[in-house]
Amino acid sequence: MRSMEARATGTSGMTVGVDPVSLEVIRNGLTSIAEEMSLIVMRSARSPLLREAGDLSSALTDADGFLVAQGRDVPMHLGVMSFTVREFLKRVPKAQLRPQDVWLLNLPEVGGNHLPDVKAIRPVFAGGAIRAFAVSLAHWADTGGALPGSYVPNATDAWQEGLRIPPLRIANADGLDREKLDLVLANVRGAAEREGDILAQLAATRIADERAQQLFAEHGLDTVMAAIAAIHDRAEAEMREAIAAVPDGIYEGVDWLDDDGSGQERIAIRVRVTVSGSDATFDFSASDDAVRGPVNTTPFITAASVFYCMKALLGPDIQPSGGCYRPMTIVTRPGSVLNPGIDKPVVGGNHETSQRIADAVFRALDPVLPGRASAGGPTTSGLILFAGRRRDGVWTTLYEVHGGGEGARAERDGMPALRVHMSNVMNTPAEVIEAEYPIRVERQALRRGSGGRGRHCGGDGLYRAYRIMEPEISVTSMFERRLVPPYGLDRGEPGAPFRVTVNTTDGRSFELPGKTNLRLNAGDLVVVESCGGGGYGAPDRTGKSE
Amino acid sequence: MATSSAGDWLVGVDIGGTFTDVVALPRAGGATRTGKVLTRSGDRVASLVTALSAVGLDWAEVGDLVHGTTMVTNAIVQGRFARTALVSTRGFGDTLAIGRQNRRYLYRLDRKPKLDPLVPDARCFEVDERCDHHGNVLRELVDSEIDELASELAAGGAEAVAISLLHSYANPAHEERLAARLGERFAYVAVSNRVNPEAREYERTATTVLSASVMPLAAGYLDSLEARKPAQARLHLFHSGGDMASPEAVRHLPLALAMSGPAAGVTAAAQVARELALDHVISFDMGGTTTDVCLVSQGRPEIASDRKLNDHPLRQSMVAVESIGAGGGSIAVYDRGVLRVGPESAGAEPGPACYGRGGSRPTVTDANLFLGYLDPDRLYGNELRLDEKAARAAIGQLAAEAGMDLRDTALGMVKVTNQAMVRALRRVTVERGIDGRRCTLIAFGGAGPMHAVAVARAYGVAQVIVPAQSSVFSALGCVHAQMGYAQQQTLRVPRQTWNVGLINDVRERLWARLAAPLLAAGFAVDELAVEETAAIRYRGQSYAVEIAAPDFSDSGRLGRDFLEQHYRLYGFATDEPWELTAIRMRVAAPRADIAALTVPPAAVSAAGGTGPCLFDRSGERMTRRCDRSALAAGETVHGPAVIEDAFSTVVVPPGASLVPDARGHLLITVGEAP
Repeated sequence: MRSMEARATGTSGMTVGVDPVSLEVIRNGLTSIAEEMSLIVMRSARSPLLREAGDLSSALTDADGFLVAQGRDVPMHLGVMSFTVREFLKRVPKAQLRPQDVWLLNLPEVGGNHLPDVKAIRPVFAGGAIRAFAVSLAHWADTGGALPGSYVPNATDAWQEGLRIPPLRIANADGLDREKLDLVLANVRGAAEREGDILAQLAATRIADERAQQLFAEHGLDTVMAAIAAIHDRAEAEMREAIAAVPDGIYEGVDWLDDDGSGQERIAIRVRVTVSGSDATFDFSASDDAVRGPVNTTPFITAASVFYCMKALLGPDIQPSGGCYRPMTIVTRPGSVLNPGIDKPVVGGNHETSQRIADAVFRALDPVLPGRASAGGPTTSGLILFAGRRRDGVWTTLYEVHGGGEGARAERDGMPALRVHMSNVMNTPAEVIEAEYPIRVERQALRRGSGGRGRHCGGDGLYRAYRIMEPEISVTSMFERRLVPPYGLDRGEPGAPFRVTVNTTDGRSFELPGKTNLRLNAGDLVVVESCGGGGYGAPDRTGKSE
Repeated sequence: MATSSAGDWLVGVDIGGTFTDVVALPRAGGATRTGKVLTRSGDRVASLVTALSAVGLDWAEVGDLVHGTTMVTNAIVQGRFARTALVSTRGFGDTLAIGRQNRRYLYRLDRKPKLDPLVPDARCFEVDERCDHHGNVLRELVDSEIDELASELAAGGAEAVAISLLHSYANPAHEERLAARLGERFAYVAVSNRVNPEAREYERTATTVLSASVMPLAAGYLDSLEARKPAQARLHLFHSGGDMASPEAVRHLPLALAMSGPAAGVTAAAQVARELALDHVISFDMGGTTTDVCLVSQGRPEIASDRKLNDHPLRQSMVAVESIGAGGGSIAVYDRGVLRVGPESAGAEPGPACYGRGGSRPTVTDANLFLGYLDPDRLYGNELRLDEKAARAAIGQLAAEAGMDLRDTALGMVKVTNQAMVRALRRVTVERGIDGRRCTLIAFGGAGPMHAVAVARAYGVAQVIVPAQSSVFSALGCVHAQMGYAQQQTLRVPRQTWNVGLINDVRERLWARLAAPLLAAGFAVDELAVEETAAIRYRGQSYAVEIAAPDFSDSGRLGRDFLEQHYRLYGFATDEPWELTAIRMRVAAPRADIAALTVPPAAVSAAGGTGPCLFDRSGERMTRRCDRSALAAGETVHGPAVIEDAFSTVVVPPGASLVPDARGHLLITVGEAP
């Protein structure tokens, strides 16, 4: 296969046979099923990311795996789950699926992104056939591998990153398959916590199945199936209309990753966008080759980032169904950083490279859609992962993401301390960190003056200082925008780059690389200064925004 | 409540955006009086006096007045705030600007992604002090620091001051020292350990600032009210937690009024649930622009502690109302193959097309008129006659766009609206692990009784009650209120190191704070009722499961209760370690029993008229129409029927049947559509 096709199949044009009232009622019914799934996972799961920050998603797809409804919207997950079930079905034919099955899966190459995002997939049967799939995606705090938290910044192959779960029937009509569950739990840290996560995901898919059966009973199976087809067609029509309004042409954009953690710097992500009528092709073939370190990513993430940009630029309110993506074709080159093959590490690509892909697409389309995109922002998770034992012997992992200054826009300044684009995960409050982890937050403040100057200024980044309180704490970094700062637009200035400094008790002070791991001891201080946003428009002499 | 002399009245008044409702009850016994007047938005005190005169009362006859108001709600929604200063721990002065770093709109780049902080940089102050999460003092707050701050603050021109120090929920001493000192110079000081003694610095700080920012407004209103009322009339305010508070308590914590209006209706629904011994009830309050839904279990409204209002965190114990932006005024549009209703609303101005005040777009109310549920010959609210032609024209335009006939369009508008209501019902029941189909729906508000049976059918609910006094139901809730206060307090006690002594210390402090205003009102300690809820979670979870009436001395039993509840909510439970994370306490004063508020039913049902109504696509049905006051208790009315009073309309579709009980509640068996 020379290129990866993200284009959905299907017919265009409005589907007949569902009246406007039933269509609206069924559409809302499907969305509320997905919302209920997310509620169950968020409230009952264990991994801190799920609970405090909501790093999870739920979706319903049609019988062929095309997304129909989504619960909690994490743009990255939204895009990836458009592929998960379709790729799953290539591995596991429908004939092998049975009612009440739940399959676990985390392989990046099977409609995935990185190992920590584990999907639970349940086929929904009615009238003797599969009618839909319920998918619960959750970021587990650990999936094994070389380091706690399963972020291995110096990993050089995929197997160092943790437990790889191919499609695995974890539950069936007889209930949970204890042996398979034990195999999974034996390979991850915090088995009890992980079991809680799995049970939460299973519960969510079970509820989805029940609710879908109620929906079929209420409206009739045929009507619901026709409504799903109509939802796809409607979203497609809206997206086509939006694309048609963009002038035909070829638009190119580029942005650079800082480094891969294994010595390679400035890795280019290049996109060539071809707009032709109501179709758009995004060709990333000119991007750099796959790298040794874990910032490679999958074609599915590439597509997810493109989908996000197109929704943000052209149709924020379009229903995120499979049909919405039919007008788009995404091409990645095998062997490139966006289509690296199964042996390359990818854990950071999920939230670092995905953001860089979005930056490249925004920069490509900014000239033809002036005023729609924001200047460069904190397009990085700003991840610092602390792992170690508390005084009471309990093993804990704090997975902390750091927002930065939002990029300025044509009409306003950027706001400070924010997550942008592909993710929207919240911070962990200092009062929670201090109560649950062997860390004290000494200061949290805005990093004043870090926003890029412009007619409108970029938002300020964040300043947060963490004092380590126990010996032998593992600290892992996975952040970007340290070397390549957030860009300004229309002659606005770039924001200040990301900087993390470590001050040790023996008097050393050094800057932490963006992808590294080290051990710190009680008394050491980690100071995070996240990047400022880029400015928009040329600054006047004072540098003050309008 | 102190004993009252014969002849005086207990009055409940709910001042809403459009109407002010009043219910007056003679203490000596006798007929209840009810009334509804237009709210005079510029002068709330005048609205109150008008409401009193509408039921033939004068201030001098009022013994106790319980008063619900949207004053604080509106100030927050409209962003009318006092100039507030914030005092934080050194190093944490930007907590408001940082927030939780997430954005409001995932795909809307143009809109501001989060709230601007309510306090600008220039009025944010830091003091040198620090505690840890156990409450240990890491850095003592020295007096010279307080002196310096006091003079800086005085120069800053703030009207109100919010104090929020790190981990103050675990050790309030530094906040209290600051409060004592700043209280000498500032009339309005809000202190985070009193406003919201819970962990998570952004939410606690934002909640405290919000409360400080509405203190001058609330105080000004209470001043003018107290200046107006005679000394013998005792004033109480209905708060978001479903109880009433003294004016003094509200002056300290005006944020407690943020959900006063919706909470009053839920309290009235809870009263009906207790009267009729119903285990699970959903209060369904559908108005013109919003619908408020809340679960009431075993006669007690569900309580939430982590709600928001217009994106402002509102961490207060309050009745767990789920609000959706759909009601009678919601506008229907056709949009690429889909018939949508809302979120746009015609509001009160211009209102639905049929109001004839310049609205031309089709609303749910227009559909209800077209379908025959509302009567064009009737005078609604003593002033409004509905224009059938205007409704038909508005719906006709939509029908043409959608390529549907008029009837299907109107029926479809109602169906889509009802589906949105079902979604809200599902949310409030699912969150609590309750099967909604076992609940009874209590319907009120302008549009509630019209939609309730169809909504109940769509969700599988078997019984609907349109309660007596449904058109002044929120005012009724005020009359039924107890004086009481509730708060949630963070504490962290793992199962393995269970420490009853520590827990009891925290409970005693919480009790002392909540009981103080009741003791000040003259109640004795042993009169006060205490209800507690324990929040317990598995270590590692963020959301806790609530255990009612916990016995803290028996951690084994508490653990079993937790496992059982977790299983009920989520379908699984394991024997992992768990921890207590918070205690919520409500302390309430007793009150004199109020006889059930009966509406004397007619001896014999009057015949009423008939008119055509549409309930489904099978065509028009001749439908009995009669006045609510003309129904006799115990006599079954089979659908189709429409029951009307001055402010609301009860629709009983074919297949449903209605029986008024002796108290005036209309009990509807939903049945199945034929």
